[in-house]
Amino acid sequence: MSKLPRPDMTMSGPVAAAIAAALGTGLTVGLDLALLWWVALIIGVVVAFAFVAWSAPLVPDERRAGADGTKEEGTALHNTLVVPMALILAVVAGLLSAWLLDLQLQEWAAALLGAAIGSVLAFVLFHRLSAMLALSFAAVFAAGAIAIGVTAAVLYFSGIPPLATFERMVEYGARPDSMVQIINDSVTFYLAAVAVAIGFKMKLFNIGVDGQYRLAALLAAAVGGYLILPPVISQFVVIVTAVAVGGVWAGIAGYLKVSRGVSEVISTIMLNSIATGITAYLLTEGRLAVEISTNNIGTPPIPESGWVPGIPATFLGSDREIFGLIFLAIAVGIGYWVMLNRTRFGFELRATGQSKTAAEASGIDVKKMVFLSMLFSGMVAGLVGLPQLLGSSHYYALDFPTGIGFTGIAIALLGRNHPVGIVFAALFWSYLNQAAGILPFDGIPQEIAVIAQATIVLTVVVVYEVVHRWGRRYQQQQIGKQLGRTTETTPEPASVSHGTGPEHGSVEGEGDDGAPGRSDGTDGERDGEAQ
Amino acid sequence: MSSTPSGGGSTGPVAVELRGITKRFPGVVANHDIDITVAPGTVHAIVGENGAGKSTLMKTLYGMHKPDEGTIQVKGREVRFNSPSDAIKNGIGMVHQHFMLADNLTVLENVVLGAERRHGIGNKARERIRTLSAQYGLGVDPDRLMEDLGVGDRQRVEILKVLYRGAETIILDEPTAVLVPQEVDELFDNLRELKREGLTVIFISHKLDEVLSVADEITVIRRGTTVATADPRTTTARELATLMVGGELPVPELRESTVTDHVVLSLNGVTVSSPDGRDVVDDVSVDIHKGEIVGIAGVEGNGQSELIEAIMGMRRTSAGRISLEGEDITSWSTLRIREAGVGYIPEDRHRHGVLLESPLWENRVLGHQTRTPSVRGPWIDRTGARKDSERIVAEYDVRTPNIDVIADALSGGNQQKFIIGREMSGEPRFLVAAHPTRGVDVGAQNAIWEQLREARAEGLAVLLISADLDELIGMSDTLHVILRGRLVAEADPATVTPEQLGSAMTGAGLESDGQERTGADPGAGEEENEGGA
Repeated sequence: MSKLPRPDMTMSGPVAAAIAAALGTGLTVGLDLALLWWVALIIGVVVAFAFVAWSAPLVPDERRAGADGTKEEGTALHNTLVVPMALILAVVAGLLSAWLLDLQLQEWAAALLGAAIGSVLAFVLFHRLSAMLALSFAAVFAAGAIAIGVTAAVLYFSGIPPLATFERMVEYGARPDSMVQIINDSVTFYLAAVAVAIGFKMKLFNIGVDGQYRLAALLAAAVGGYLILPPVISQFVVIVTAVAVGGVWAGIAGYLKVSRGVSEVISTIMLNSIATGITAYLLTEGRLAVEISTNNIGTPPIPESGWVPGIPATFLGSDREIFGLIFLAIAVGIGYWVMLNRTRFGFELRATGQSKTAAEASGIDVKKMVFLSMLFSGMVAGLVGLPQLLGSSHYYALDFPTGIGFTGIAIALLGRNHPVGIVFAALFWSYLNQAAGILPFDGIPQEIAVIAQATIVLTVVVVYEVVHRWGRRYQQQQIGKQLGRTTETTPEPASVSHGTGPEHGSVEGEGDDGAPGRSDGTDGERDGEAQ
Repeated sequence: MSSTPSGGGSTGPVAVELRGITKRFPGVVANHDIDITVAPGTVHAIVGENGAGKSTLMKTLYGMHKPDEGTIQVKGREVRFNSPSDAIKNGIGMVHQHFMLADNLTVLENVVLGAERRHGIGNKARERIRTLSAQYGLGVDPDRLMEDLGVGDRQRVEILKVLYRGAETIILDEPTAVLVPQEVDELFDNLRELKREGLTVIFISHKLDEVLSVADEITVIRRGTTVATADPRTTTARELATLMVGGELPVPELRESTVTDHVVLSLNGVTVSSPDGRDVVDDVSVDIHKGEIVGIAGVEGNGQSELIEAIMGMRRTSAGRISLEGEDITSWSTLRIREAGVGYIPEDRHRHGVLLESPLWENRVLGHQTRTPSVRGPWIDRTGARKDSERIVAEYDVRTPNIDVIADALSGGNQQKFIIGREMSGEPRFLVAAHPTRGVDVGAQNAIWEQLREARAEGLAVLLISADLDELIGMSDTLHVILRGRLVAEADPATVTPEQLGSAMTGAGLESDGQERTGADPGAGEEENEGGA
């Protein structure tokens, strides 16, 4: 591409982006007549990307430094990793959005919009994707590939054809009803994972999310079922109850940690057991529970005025509803990001997580931070059961989902504690859960989804860590070289004497002519300050 | 490079030969184009300033990392080391500056640990240790418990460990840093003994008088490269010093006194107890005035760290009073003390001073997370913090591509300059400076001293704690000696010599030992330099 002659002119960023988009879209629409829409779209986006790459030198150099702030363009890493990664991401994003839009629109319109999105992304990613972020994506893709490989191997050796199985899963997972289920599961998983991630950012391991959300959901359900309140107030009270209960339950672990030095791992595991005991105790007839059906008891159902209405998923082609509390999850995600990156509290939290000693020396009350982050983690954990409670079951019964807290740990790891990363991790996780649901009908063990999930968590953690370390070292070297260049170009007396010194041979000669020659360099400085 | 083996007198292939060694690290020109030839049966000294790249070079030679360019030859054969065990196989052993010994084991156990295959772990090994000890005059008893041994003995155990593994070339990394003068003499006797037995010693140091007294040949390293090879019999300390720094040594010194009679920080009978009830800081009383630098000299571990932590509110005092311009701050939190205008340059910057994985501008916020320009209310003020980071980078000459790089990517000296810039911002009244120039290259050292001088002239009160006696003497208006948590002596920085200070630090009192000078010492060399400038 770079061999092509370039016109001698500059292009403003938006213009280049618009040209790329027009190119990609036009090509897609044109090819759509002859080829399958997705083939046309891939070609369109690739050509748009090629244009972006070709026109890159024409676009004025804006702020396109990466997260590490060094110039990345032209380096080996940028050429071999960032550019291909940007291409893959642009194509995948274009395909996915076209596929989603296809559910609503005509095929050609969806392909057109998908191509436009892909082409614009091609421009943005090519210019803005930082090496570190590209590395992270590469790590995730690599982990995904490994996980698929392992799962395929397991299937193969069990005498099950892997390809057919995967095809079946993909097909089933893409059904409209499945997609609604996937989104709904992800909402719950997302909240659980954020709860865990808050602790992880502080290097605190809140294993107790599970107990926290179950206890919170039970008490919130009881409050909603027994207290008949006007709409809005009812939902509000239920949510506040859940947050408070979750916070208190995690706060116990936090308090024990700061006051007695009890490891939060131990205390939260034990609190999980205690929570199980308490829920079993409370969830009996005569205490909080009433009979729901013949062999199920639960809290009295929340009256309809206390529900959170769902969002009809007709746009996905399904007549089921998406949890209305998806907005709560989004709000929690945004709040988590803002808290972490924009507030003093978030800074102190990250600082404590990175280096307790440095935090202490900087006047951060580490104990307070430990307690507060545990508390916040528990408060978010309290929300985990609510989408299910307010959106679907409306009571807490014996069949209320359990174990989500542990899934949250895996998803937080998979999403690298990043608010956006966790979104994808949660979606991916529930996708596997849902897609595997079809397998028993074909006589294939459903557990292969668990194998895939476990493998991917392991590989993501390992691969990500390896890639991250390597990337950091690479970055340091880049900076070292960059600085090395600038320092080497400044005239320094050392390089002069270095050239002549060793060749001189005679030791005495060196001592003699070395000293006066050298004294004018650094000496000037010293003279100045001595006076 | 023509270096004829001058000492030892043995012939045959060279013991170790390094050619064109280059090693790059972030932010530092670690090593480039290093050429060294070490003749067998000699003590070969490698001298250079702090940060000149000596340790990097030795780590390369010992296989702890691979050079980016260049070759290593051992006894005429080219070798590539992937790990220290490869180096050991080739007969190269290293004694680290910080001993790697397990206190709760015996000498025998420490020596055989990791080398069990050689002579087992029983009597055969014990016998071997006795033989080696006798052969090289080390005087090590294999059955003593490590924790009963003194520093000098421990070092000999380390040497024995290396010999036990069959080393013929021994690298000693700053071996005298931890020793008192008598122990240094003993060490040198041991080294001569090793040499006589045909072993080769590579001796790394920046103490010129020691190098001149023990080495057969000296290689000088400056800014990461070899600049000269010298014969100790014909070279003076002053010439070596000039070669080392490429000019004259920067001298820490103060100009006219700026001390006022306004007391900024007052310590009154401050006592800090360790968890086991010992008084690690014992009844310390000092007044630090506006525009004054008060230095505290002491062997490390005599209560300096605890004293600093008590002042910074990181450790509770068990008795006494700390007041800042009349206000009692004894029970204040670290945050409140910092907000009251106390800056803190920590002794271990990686542990206490920076967030290594955070960008520079976030490190600007650290310790100032409640003050402008870093925050606005509960929010981090990114623009303000970034702008002020740019200011620090420019004013304090922090060598970095920009303020978005993570702190870990900078060299130690640049990290330190950034920390000092940060601690000086917000107009502090009082500054705790613990080892402000430790592990920092000469240029940065000079800059840091200059910053301290300027701040002092503007009325800052400074408590300076350092292991570098020249720095203490040069930079202090008042000098105290701390020993086992007590201030045992007060010295006049204008007249005291490093030797006198050194003996006071070990409890011998200020006046004794002052006249006992062995050969040309760097202190004397500097005084002459001062006259010249």
